[in-house]
Amino acid sequence: MRVKLLIKSKPYILIFPALLLVVLFSYVPFIITLINSLHAVSLSGKRLGFVGLANFRRLFESQSFHASLTNTIRFTLFFVPTNIIVTLFAAVLSNRKGWLANLNQIFFFLPMAVGMSSMLMILKMMFNPSIGIINHLIGLKIQWFNDPKAAMALLVIAGVFLDIGFDFLLFSAALRNVPKDLKEVALINGANDFQIFRHLELPLIGPTFIFVLVTNIKDAMLISAPVLILTEGGPFRSTQTLVYQMYLEGFKSGNYALGSAIAIVVFLLTFTALLALLRLERRRIYYQ
Amino acid sequence: MKRLVILTIIALIAIPTLFALGQKEDSEYTTITWWHPNAGLAGTASDELIKEFNETKGQELKIKVVGVYQGKANDVLTKLKPILQSKDHRDLPDLAQLDGSAVLDIRDFDQLITMNELAKNDQDYLSNIVEATRLSVTYKNKMLAMPFNSSTILLYYNKDAFKKAGIAEPPKTLADVAITAAKLKQTDDKGRTTFWGIANVPTSYEMMVWLGQQNGLTYLTDFENGHTGNPTRVLFDENGTMVNFLKRWQAIYDTGSLANLTSDLNGAFASGQVAMILASTSNLATIVSMVGDRFEVGVANLPMVDENATGGVNVGGGAIWAFDNGKGHEWAIWEFLKFATSPNQQLKWHIATGYFPVNIATYDLPEFNAHLLDNPLYGVASRQLMSSNPKLQGIWVPSAYQIYYAFQSGILKMLEENLSPEATSKAIATEINGYLTEYHLMQAE
Amino acid sequence: MKILRPTLATLLSLLIVFPILYSVSASFFQYTDFTALPARLLPTTLNANNYVRSFAESSLARFLANSLFTSIVGTLLRMTISILAAYTFSFFSFKGRNTLFVIIVATMLLPPDALIIANFTTIRALRLTDTYLGIISTSLLAPTHIFMLRQYFRMMSVEYREAAVLEGCSDTRFLMTLLLPMSKAVVLTLAIHSFSTIFNDYLWPLLVTNKTSMRTVQVGLTMMGFSENLDYGPQFAAISLLMAPILIAFIALHKPIKESVSTRFTGR
Repeated sequence: MRVKLLIKSKPYILIFPALLLVVLFSYVPFIITLINSLHAVSLSGKRLGFVGLANFRRLFESQSFHASLTNTIRFTLFFVPTNIIVTLFAAVLSNRKGWLANLNQIFFFLPMAVGMSSMLMILKMMFNPSIGIINHLIGLKIQWFNDPKAAMALLVIAGVFLDIGFDFLLFSAALRNVPKDLKEVALINGANDFQIFRHLELPLIGPTFIFVLVTNIKDAMLISAPVLILTEGGPFRSTQTLVYQMYLEGFKSGNYALGSAIAIVVFLLTFTALLALLRLERRRIYYQ
Repeated sequence: MKRLVILTIIALIAIPTLFALGQKEDSEYTTITWWHPNAGLAGTASDELIKEFNETKGQELKIKVVGVYQGKANDVLTKLKPILQSKDHRDLPDLAQLDGSAVLDIRDFDQLITMNELAKNDQDYLSNIVEATRLSVTYKNKMLAMPFNSSTILLYYNKDAFKKAGIAEPPKTLADVAITAAKLKQTDDKGRTTFWGIANVPTSYEMMVWLGQQNGLTYLTDFENGHTGNPTRVLFDENGTMVNFLKRWQAIYDTGSLANLTSDLNGAFASGQVAMILASTSNLATIVSMVGDRFEVGVANLPMVDENATGGVNVGGGAIWAFDNGKGHEWAIWEFLKFATSPNQQLKWHIATGYFPVNIATYDLPEFNAHLLDNPLYGVASRQLMSSNPKLQGIWVPSAYQIYYAFQSGILKMLEENLSPEATSKAIATEINGYLTEYHLMQAE
Repeated sequence: MKILRPTLATLLSLLIVFPILYSVSASFFQYTDFTALPARLLPTTLNANNYVRSFAESSLARFLANSLFTSIVGTLLRMTISILAAYTFSFFSFKGRNTLFVIIVATMLLPPDALIIANFTTIRALRLTDTYLGIISTSLLAPTHIFMLRQYFRMMSVEYREAAVLEGCSDTRFLMTLLLPMSKAVVLTLAIHSFSTIFNDYLWPLLVTNKTSMRTVQVGLTMMGFSENLDYGPQFAAISLLMAPILIAFIALHKPIKESVSTRFTGR
């Protein structure tokens, strides 16, 4: 009898840690955040009274929030295509045999060995407008931290350097899995490199492509560390993103109600984006 | 292959863990923690201060001070707030160096120990502190913190560039700035500016002075800039000081010699790209070392908004606040505070950074005057303060970090989109009032 | 045409690796090299003063120890929890299995960064600030890993396991001697990914640690505070020192790294 109970409860015991974590660090905080966003909350976290959607209304009227929203969307739209093009391009270019190709590949995934803070600090110093090496090498005096467009570009560049290591490995592996005989057949039939890529390789790396696309979009919408370290939301809030504003309101101002409201908006945004993408993936698979 | 991977991993863990071992706590000493935002030259100076204390008074009284760099002044506040707001105060540092943006958030907490309390056996000590700095941390007759790193805002200018352009004196009013900056500007043959007259986008620091000094003295918010109660709305819109300032600022911008830089102003100045910047006297040592021997650095009083803006400047910088974390360290905290504000230590701090001394006795030290003779730039800040209206105080507002940017974004918008000063004044007022209202909503009953 | 590919690849790869090369060079810069105009690519002298300073003037070794400890322990715990959960969902049948699976995996849509304020309050209430557990806590859950592992495990047929059980093979033996070795590629990839996620975490450790002695290297690096007056030397030295072992490991192990990243886990 006891043995049977033990055997029966075994699976529950095995998944208990995962379940506990999920409840403690995902569901409970989510519900608390949702509740806080609908209340007025004091500096010490005490709920002061139900206010319905008033926090959201104030949020949507504030200029600061408009900036965060547009900047986050703008960053996502700039970063994702740039990153995918650069990483895919790198993977395709180095998908060859030989010691040089190996060297190329090593260089491409080496940034993965550099920690995030390290990479951001290196970029921060390299892109210093007065004494940084970048302005010197390209011969222009771009105000990387003072000009909104340049600052946004800098964030995109930083994002690429941070993600290229892992994304490159994924694309490289996917390309390597394309059956060689298919490529040879195409070559014999007179197709050039570009056609091979477009009609043969690209469709076959579909699932990996979707995976990279989805993670890139999620990372872009949630970007916080590069903003914290490189630009601090400047200049003039042109790089202030949603999560950064959430940090400002929730931690710097102690405004838990508003911070929670922003968190809910972030969640809704990523949720809709991911849902839309999953629909897309299902349609593509049907096609094949 | 597998073995290699395992060995690499073990090596990666082993090496640093060896370094990390051997960090022991000395339990017979009373350890005080001091959270501070001092970096660069200031960081070195505060490390020196701590070291000297630990090796002299600390040895004598068995006190050990540990300094923890927490980022900028506002970051120190960000770290402090959650601990103050929770019910458990054991994690509070004994001392935290904060600036004016922290006052409203810290002021009302029970765990704050006022200087009056700390000095109860040493009542006379507090009168050694420069009066204006003392006033800047006093609320309802209680001295909330100990002034430590006091500064005023200054005009830094490139003397060589001034000579070349034939300008004898640094500008005294904003109208003068417009004329001077225009003379200093240089363009290349394509019409692009290669050398700017002045670079700055005003934030709370500048606005506090430029609004507050008008007509002798005006307040930016009600409740005397938050010094007699929580501010509920701004006044600079109604009393016209903002519009007055914006008109003159726009005039400078219209000469085409104003660069809207918000970061790395020290670097731009030191590398000879801009002739004038506005910065705190605490940057003096840093800027001088960055410039090296490229050109001669000049320092002057902050230009007045107009001839009627006679209020002068306010005391900026920061102070050290003391907290009760239940460990009974008050006596040790007080010993360290006395040491840090002693005439000699304030002299060393002043020379290393540019902050002006808060101990009156420092100004009589022969070493101080000798240093002043060789480095006249160091005296400008305190002289500017002495000639100011002591009632000109900084603003004590919530969401100080965001209000800082509210000023900046609003002014930039006006310049780039050519909006009217009246509309801009209203827009900035609305945004800041929003933050003040939010704060009001967050007050527990 | 044939040389176009290698040339482009080499140019692009040099561009990507440039920041790494620059930081090594800059770690030898003196103060005057940094403030020099025009900006310099190479140092004037090769003296290791910056390296000495970066160790002496900061707790760099401690930061690194903290990061390595939290990353390694965090990865081990995370993988263990995920593997156990995925294993259970793949091979056991019990009441509520599908519902519980959905509950766990649905959290893939709840990004931890969006919940950071509430999580911070929880950790503070549990008095876990400034502890290793506090730093790792939110990274222990990996719904994506559980999902992927289950996909992969299910490719192995259930009969296989039933046969093994009949033969007297306990669950643990099955897991360790059969399942895991067969899933080496996936597990290794997920482990590498976990390690780098925890190692690179910035915002969470920043909020959760106040003492210098508990800081991770990502936070500690940005707080070295040398850069106020352009004295970047020690910071670059610290960065280069940090990069060195991992760079060497990557270069030495580049073949297995490339091969371990299997695409089998990104989708069929």
